[in-house]
Amino acid sequence: MENIFIILLGLSMIYIAATSRLAAHINMLIAQGWLLFFVCLLGFAQEPWFNWHMISGMQSIIDNMPHIIGFMFVIVETLIVKAFVIPLFLKKVLRRTNAHRDTEANIPHFYCLFISSIILFAGFLIANINIPEMKLVEPMYFGVSIAIIITSLWLITIKHKVLSNVIGFITMENGIFLLSLSVAKEMPIIVNLGVLLDIFIAVFILGMLVKEINNEFDDLEVSQLSDLKDYEYND
Amino acid sequence: MINLILLFPLIACVILFLFKNKLLNNLMINLYAVIHFVVSLAYCLNYDFLPMWQPNRFFAVDGTNRIFLMVMSIVFLAVAVYNNGYVNKETSLTKKLRHYTYMFLFFVFSMTGAILSTNLGISWVFIEGTTLASAYLIYFHKTKHSIEAAWKYVFICSIGIALAFVGIILLTVATGNLNSLFYTDLYNNAQLFNHFWLQLSFVFILFGIGTKMGLAPVHFWLPDAHAEAPSPISALLSATLLNSAFLVILNVFRIMILSGCDSYGRIMLFVMGFLSLFITAVFVYHINNYKRMLAYSSIENMGILAIGTALGGVGMLAAIIHLIGHSLIKASFFLTSGNILEIYGTKKIKSVTGLLKTDRKTGWLWILSFVGIAAFPPSVLFISEFLMVKTLFMQKQFILAAIFLLLLTIVIYGLGKAVIKMSFSETSGEIEPVKLSWTMYLPQMIMLIIAFIIGVYMPKSVTGMLLMAVVGF
Repeated sequence: MENIFIILLGLSMIYIAATSRLAAHINMLIAQGWLLFFVCLLGFAQEPWFNWHMISGMQSIIDNMPHIIGFMFVIVETLIVKAFVIPLFLKKVLRRTNAHRDTEANIPHFYCLFISSIILFAGFLIANINIPEMKLVEPMYFGVSIAIIITSLWLITIKHKVLSNVIGFITMENGIFLLSLSVAKEMPIIVNLGVLLDIFIAVFILGMLVKEINNEFDDLEVSQLSDLKDYEYND
Repeated sequence: MINLILLFPLIACVILFLFKNKLLNNLMINLYAVIHFVVSLAYCLNYDFLPMWQPNRFFAVDGTNRIFLMVMSIVFLAVAVYNNGYVNKETSLTKKLRHYTYMFLFFVFSMTGAILSTNLGISWVFIEGTTLASAYLIYFHKTKHSIEAAWKYVFICSIGIALAFVGIILLTVATGNLNSLFYTDLYNNAQLFNHFWLQLSFVFILFGIGTKMGLAPVHFWLPDAHAEAPSPISALLSATLLNSAFLVILNVFRIMILSGCDSYGRIMLFVMGFLSLFITAVFVYHINNYKRMLAYSSIENMGILAIGTALGGVGMLAAIIHLIGHSLIKASFFLTSGNILEIYGTKKIKSVTGLLKTDRKTGWLWILSFVGIAAFPPSVLFISEFLMVKTLFMQKQFILAAIFLLLLTIVIYGLGKAVIKMSFSETSGEIEPVKLSWTMYLPQMIMLIIAFIIGVYMPKSVTGMLLMAVVGF
């Protein structure tokens, strides 16, 4: 069942690679947040403690406190931050900067579609490698998350607008989140909190910088940001 | 005592927020620097003046990070003193100054946290925290160039550190049944780890945190950020931030050693180290911005640290000595470059002429910092580089030793050409004399004196501390 959501996550990357409208990219971020939430929810549903009984009375709430905190945390991370706050913030930045399309990508969209499909396919192949080391992880999660991370990094290198680079960064973080789900073990809650906070602030700062770039430069193109060089330097 | 240096900056920020007094800004930075220095000195002397207030298990001081903490304290104190004179010249806007102070405190706080943490995950959080805190500081001047530098810095470092997190996840795969990221747990169970996943995770962590440390080929943010940041911040970036990233790599490398796949890690460190030297040697020759030149020199020195770590044994000892020397001398170099920028108002090497005649003290500090960084004998870097070459010879790596010496010579030539040209040439045109306060000379002098003294005479206690730091490498 959760494989469907994971495959949809992989497909959302192909969609991001093949479109040029930034608003569509942001909608895909919302979709990815929801998909990650469903993947987590299905993961929780397999746990023995996860049922309505867990919040039926004061005593059972106290008994299940660590589980409930973990569950609440996942809701905050996937639904509130990944599917709501960050996309909303990016939409605001998008409206301010009026950069709706990333048209002049280095590679035509058809090739983007083709290459990202190949990367996703390679991810599925990784998931099916039959070596003893792969038994330590969930293969499907692992393969697709690697594909998402690689596609995001590749998209960052070919896209021209600074905002698309930020979107690439967030999809990469989503890939890493999926990768962390492939390991059966949980990180301590304080580490998770710190990671979430850092990513959130990083996106926030990048968004602020996008606004500043929009004020200072004529255009939101990455090629504008290449004045700092070793030779012919003017300051 | 750890609690004191971790909680003070947060309290200071709250106080600053409540009482928006202009005088408080510098006071808080100086007070934090003094507290930082006193606490690390107490740790070095093994004297706990707050025995009642024990830290939680996420932070601790041990043999290795004690050195890093001490170096950081000295540099931070010097930068804080320098900052008193600098900031008043730089801006008169109260609000801008207050933001600068907040971020300054957060920056030092997150570096301290990264150095002291006993958990790999917490280290990661703090290393990313340093990126976020220093982004504003690099963007401080709000020019086109500083936006560009800040953007590159945040973006490249965030991606690098995200890859390091992939490495941490892969490390948790390698640990098998162990569900903990505390360094002590990882060290104790290192022999049981799965080698395939461990090696894979080391690649990601080395490249990810190496981005932050400024190792080639992932160093691209470093020259831009160091050149565009205000000079006190450049000094902190170069002399303390790179070290705190290096400490995380060291801790992970120790896991590799304990689990018995260190030969693999050593090769990677060697490659990145020599690549850093090579990149510096290629680029430093043609540079026309003196702050960029210093930034490239930082890349070179980080490369030397990586090579020393890869050599192990005496090489590792040399790396730690090199780290101390580099931090002190490079911080004074960057602070002096701040003086030059104040006097001449340009970062171009060509436009700076007759430094010795224009401002004698700055000129001599500039030359002495160069003598220190070029590892001429009284400098402590001479000992470290000598030990490193000796280790290379003892391991029968004659070709590598020759390449090492050749690349270092090219770098010294590149730096020396610029420094001599700037200092000894005739003044061209009239330069308005700028009166700089004494706080913009004293810190560099003290750091250089320390670096030259421990180059000649290293007290027994310091040697003991250094030996304790490299146990196990």
